[in-house]
Amino acid sequence: MSNLTELPAAATDVFPILGKSSKELKALSAARHLSLSETEFLAIQAHFKALKREPSLAEVETIAQTWSEHCKHKTFTSPIRYVEGKKTRSIKNLFQETIVAATMAVKKPWCLSLFSDNAGVIAFGKKWALAFKVETHNHPSALEPYGGAATGVGGVVRDILGVGLGAKPVLNTDTFCFGRPDYKGPLPEGAHHPTRTLRGVVAGVRDYGNRMGIPTAGGGIWFDDEYRLNPLVFCGTVGIMPQWAVKKEVKPGDLIVAVGGRTGRDGLHGATFSSANIGANAPSSAVQIGHAIQEKRVLDALLAARDKKLYGSVTDCGAGGFSSAIGELGANCGARVRLEQAPLKVSDLDSWEIWLSESQERMVLAVPPKNLKALEAVFAAEGCELAVLGEFTKTGRLEVMHHASVIVDLDMKFLHNGLPRVERSAVWTGPSSTKVAGGIAKKAGDALREMVGHLNVCSREWVIRQYDHEVQGGTIVKPLQGVRHDGPGDACVIWPHAATGDMEDFSCFAVGHGLNPDYGRIDPYWMAMSAVDEALRNLTCVGADPARAALLDNFCWASPEDPKQLGALIRAAEGCRDAAKGFGAPFISGKDSFFNQSKDEKGKDLAIPGTLLISAVAPVPDGRKAVTMDFKGPGNALYLIGRTNDELGGSLYHRVLGRAGGEVPKVSPAAAIDGFKALHAAMTRGHVLSAHDLSEGGLALCAAEMGFTGEFGCLLDLDECPRDPRIYSNETLLFSESPSRILVEVKPENESAFLRHFGKSAKSAMVRRVGQTTANPILKVTGLEGSTCLEESLKELKEAWQTALPRVLA
Amino acid sequence: MSLKIQPSNVHLIEVKLKSEFNDAEGLAAMSLLKEQGLSNLKEVRMGRLYEISGGLSANQAHQAGKDILCDAVTQEFRLVPASPAPMNGMNFWRVEVWLKATVSDPVGATIVEAIAEGGLPKPIAARCAMLYLLNGRATSAQVEKAVAKSLANPLIHRVVVTEAHP
Repeated sequence: MSNLTELPAAATDVFPILGKSSKELKALSAARHLSLSETEFLAIQAHFKALKREPSLAEVETIAQTWSEHCKHKTFTSPIRYVEGKKTRSIKNLFQETIVAATMAVKKPWCLSLFSDNAGVIAFGKKWALAFKVETHNHPSALEPYGGAATGVGGVVRDILGVGLGAKPVLNTDTFCFGRPDYKGPLPEGAHHPTRTLRGVVAGVRDYGNRMGIPTAGGGIWFDDEYRLNPLVFCGTVGIMPQWAVKKEVKPGDLIVAVGGRTGRDGLHGATFSSANIGANAPSSAVQIGHAIQEKRVLDALLAARDKKLYGSVTDCGAGGFSSAIGELGANCGARVRLEQAPLKVSDLDSWEIWLSESQERMVLAVPPKNLKALEAVFAAEGCELAVLGEFTKTGRLEVMHHASVIVDLDMKFLHNGLPRVERSAVWTGPSSTKVAGGIAKKAGDALREMVGHLNVCSREWVIRQYDHEVQGGTIVKPLQGVRHDGPGDACVIWPHAATGDMEDFSCFAVGHGLNPDYGRIDPYWMAMSAVDEALRNLTCVGADPARAALLDNFCWASPEDPKQLGALIRAAEGCRDAAKGFGAPFISGKDSFFNQSKDEKGKDLAIPGTLLISAVAPVPDGRKAVTMDFKGPGNALYLIGRTNDELGGSLYHRVLGRAGGEVPKVSPAAAIDGFKALHAAMTRGHVLSAHDLSEGGLALCAAEMGFTGEFGCLLDLDECPRDPRIYSNETLLFSESPSRILVEVKPENESAFLRHFGKSAKSAMVRRVGQTTANPILKVTGLEGSTCLEESLKELKEAWQTALPRVLA
Repeated sequence: MSLKIQPSNVHLIEVKLKSEFNDAEGLAAMSLLKEQGLSNLKEVRMGRLYEISGGLSANQAHQAGKDILCDAVTQEFRLVPASPAPMNGMNFWRVEVWLKATVSDPVGATIVEAIAEGGLPKPIAARCAMLYLLNGRATSAQVEKAVAKSLANPLIHRVVVTEAHP
């Protein structure tokens, strides 16, 4: 049976699968957008064969969403046969063997909740805790950029409301990968031009975050034409909560209470849709328009109820709707649901639609019956609807009724543990060659001018100014910095006094990111290492404590059914593992998004480059000592921390020159973390005026940005750079993207004190005085041979940096 | 060309900037439409449409438009008649971009509550749309294509293009 007209329409209708061949089951899966594989459908068939009955439509839909890639992370948890060169080995569970193993090895007592809740939670002082989650909303944003991005923000905010007993959101972060806005090539029917996607996504993030009163102060944008059909939208939220609210518990007898928005036909099949390639037959119901004001009401009411301790557990209705939320809350006990109690947007919803709908702005609570009246009063005061949908039981079953009909009666163990584990194949062959080839040589000045105006470097002010990054009044280090508030900050620093109510406590936190898919094209392992390094050095630059940093991973990949794609993913995951161990920084949460590939205008699969976003959060012990990246005055010493190697593979310099090959930047975590810790110690004693990390564009771009943001120039001497002695090229020293490097401005009278923090390494290659700031806003660099190799007006560089994005969007 | 006819218990309220004010949203929309080939456009003005179903008489709908949906200083409003007058302008187009019925309309939901809180009977439902008034030579097909590529997303929007009075 593969004809849609033969499919059941009502939830109670039998969904006949017994006796069907795997081919027929595959057709059924496709017809109903279930995204179930043949093996999975056969497991369902076997389960119901043992029960001697056919499943209902609602039962199959429930299992499909629970087993979706979105909910079960099958790629990361399935066994894999991995071939790397001539070696073959078995991976039982990639997630456990990389991300979790590293976190367990690092063993940080300040990690309060890891991988088990809606977000990771770390201690923030003795009383408070920080919850951090970054979600992706790629597929919806590709179809409807505004709605997809807005509901991405709404979803991750609800994750923070649903972690523990709920945290107050105090920061939103947003990182995007788009096709170039000036893309002129053809696009397949129905695809949005990258410019339209960018405008819509930014507007969606702006409208949802601003209306909820949450500052959006962190993130970034990466442009590459391979994202033109599959944009990536990473939405993050940090929340703060009292430490007593980190633990949650569902008890049999607790009422199942739904709060917030009403249930509609919108959002059906979001979970299963995200487990498939985007195609022309994507369901329009997978896209929604968010209601930020509704979610703000939920936020206010929920936190008030939390502080009155009126409920024992909470989670958000995300992918899978009630099915997922109630199924997860009741996984260890059981749940009985009466759907007729659910407030509806329209009256003609079928029961499976009520059960599966992913209508936004809804949360589910486990409420002791004695607290119901008080809870109703709290939610009524905020104008927020509340409905009792049933109760948690001891049966170990998920029982769902609609009026007199039973539409779901499933064993929780089968639902949550019945997913068959299928071995996948993965191959990694390594980069073909590191030999540098092609491209046209350019003078250093010409290359630098081109680099500051490159889309992956230029000012994001057009985007940032649309976001309210000041609301709640705690954004101490802002995304735009310097004398004119328009320079590129490394990370934001938030003082959450509006949430803690304590104006005497200057404890803050910082959030930074690392992402560079160009390194991954050479080797995803080093991409992952570099992303962790970049996120941590961004934090260090603003005064955060790198020894207290916690990490989040977001993997966005094409189809994991392609062994090469899966092999690259394994390399990246192993890079994350080794970076976390090396830096002593635990992963506390993460997310994966697969099938980011679409048919292009010629019908060929266009896959995104394997992309890893690392987000990091760390406390800033005293926000008054936070540091920005702009030069503060003339005559100050400039120190370069970290060693420069010939690592131009995947660099912006090579991209500008059109060169291929080269060594990808390689991280030495032990040396890197020593440098970061020493710098942090110097910052806490006030010995650092400014600091900025060296990333795309290397030393030259870093110095240019610090100079034009502070409106002071600088003199640099390349011969003084800590470096591999085999480097004889000025261009390599100017533009190499060797990781773990930071350029630091120090007052002359503090130089000795500054260097003392670096101990013995101050005399080694780790930190060296490489120049000084000047009053004249010129970037002047002396080359290895002793003559000037670069002299550029910072005013002109800034103009090129500022005008690039508005020009391509005009 | 399709005309939208309202039943008697449905009121369509149109709100737009007074003509003496610069319309920045309209300018941005014109820029997007020109990128899509409507190079002869001379002006685009933007507005909002609110379709309010049930609960309100015509007078009450007028009051909702005046007191709740319109900023009297910068905007003007009107109730769009149930049977629009014949149109006559080849170079003037009216474009309405509505969310499809299957898509949630948070602004519409808020308006239902706002009208009730304003002391008027609570409507059964409200939907809102973006209104674009285009001045410039084009064909209906050109307008529809350009709108679908820039101001609307066919996946979630329903677009109504009609000739309009200048």
